[in-house]
Amino acid sequence: MLMNRNKKAMIFRVAEIIIHELKLEEITPETFDPDLDLVNELGVDSMDLATIALVLQDEYCIIIDEDDYPKLRNIRMIADYIEKKQIA
Amino acid sequence: MNTTDITTIPQCDKETKKWKFSELLAEPDVRRRWEKVRKFFFLRESTYDMTNRCNIRCDGCYYYEGEKQFAQGNEDPVAWRELMKEEKARGITYVVLAGAEPSMVSQLLRVCYEEMPLGCIATNGFKLIPASVGYRIHVSVWGNDETSLRVRRAKNLLSKQIDNYRGDPRAVFVYTFTRDNINEVYEVMDTIAAHDCKITFNVFSSPVGYAGPLRHNKDSLERTRNVMLDILSQYTEYVLFSPYSVAAHTYKHGLHELYECSYPRRNPSTDIGLGRSFRQYRADLSWDRDAACCVPDTDCEECRHYAAGSAIVTARLYRHVIDPDTFKSWLDYVDTYLAVWVVGYEKGDNLCRGLIAPP
Repeated sequence: MLMNRNKKAMIFRVAEIIIHELKLEEITPETFDPDLDLVNELGVDSMDLATIALVLQDEYCIIIDEDDYPKLRNIRMIADYIEKKQIA
Repeated sequence: MNTTDITTIPQCDKETKKWKFSELLAEPDVRRRWEKVRKFFFLRESTYDMTNRCNIRCDGCYYYEGEKQFAQGNEDPVAWRELMKEEKARGITYVVLAGAEPSMVSQLLRVCYEEMPLGCIATNGFKLIPASVGYRIHVSVWGNDETSLRVRRAKNLLSKQIDNYRGDPRAVFVYTFTRDNINEVYEVMDTIAAHDCKITFNVFSSPVGYAGPLRHNKDSLERTRNVMLDILSQYTEYVLFSPYSVAAHTYKHGLHELYECSYPRRNPSTDIGLGRSFRQYRADLSWDRDAACCVPDTDCEECRHYAAGSAIVTARLYRHVIDPDTFKSWLDYVDTYLAVWVVGYEKGDNLCRGLIAPP
């Protein structure tokens, strides 16, 4: 239950970061579908993704390898990735 | 002049401190520059050979190498308009109109401009492109008039280029440093400055198999680096370049070895970025993923081309977020490339005056 709450909070925070960094005006963290494909459905490009990754590194004190960017396809996958990095 | 060896330049704090991105953005000038350049992250380019005709023939020309020169030119405006619409639909926001000589088909340039308002034309500057085509125009300069006559078989080329493009806000002159025109740039710079034109630098990158006199070697790259830095300090207001641009384009290794080229020709990934969206169209409107980069038929090991660097260095943001000077250098590089490629974009002062080695 605790895990679920933490994960939910992380998904919410990642959504906030993406909205802020990409200046998305029509989405809120509450309405951001965590399974929305950031590249194919939201139109995020490599420079946007690099920016988001740098901000996430700061926020969660992790290192996101450049080669791992393609794994960050949606908010749920990003949250999973951060969790794994924090445990490692 | 002392030779500047980039490999001996000390790098700031890399071993002792891990910088957070937010710390690198803490300085107000750096934050402002980041916000300025990131507004243009939406640019997604593709390149297009407009015709297989040219009004001059230059030694070492990229267009007349490989298969693309044999494509049957399609000069039907309806087909080009349709192509531009399709390109827009698949997310392309910036077009580079090149080979062989785009000024030969000005009606097609107008069609492209009507459909896709951001872009650039690479021209030899011999024939004026009408003002109704509002793209950035890169006018290629390969030395003084004597050298142009020898290498490009064109008489009084610089004078003609300046007659056509002086005072034209679209125009940026592009001086290509070859092995044998390095010091001629001073004479060209005097002319450029006297006519209040803007210039940027390119480094000749040999086509595959080229072994002629223009090909660079270690010594000519070092001399080019020193001359570029000297010109940068002497003609600041006329030159769109930065110390990091000098470092990246005159390093002993080419751009691919330094940064891993992100164009499809060297990048198999279709997940995101250039590997996903970039196409290089031939004059018959066909394209081939295996050959796709901004200067096809260049020897990748030798590639130091300014157009390639604009995309490849910029894409490696992550590698430059390691210390303040390296990040500032990257910002200077991106600010320079945007000023060179986007009409109306004003370059700021370089944030990092020192020479930083590519990370």
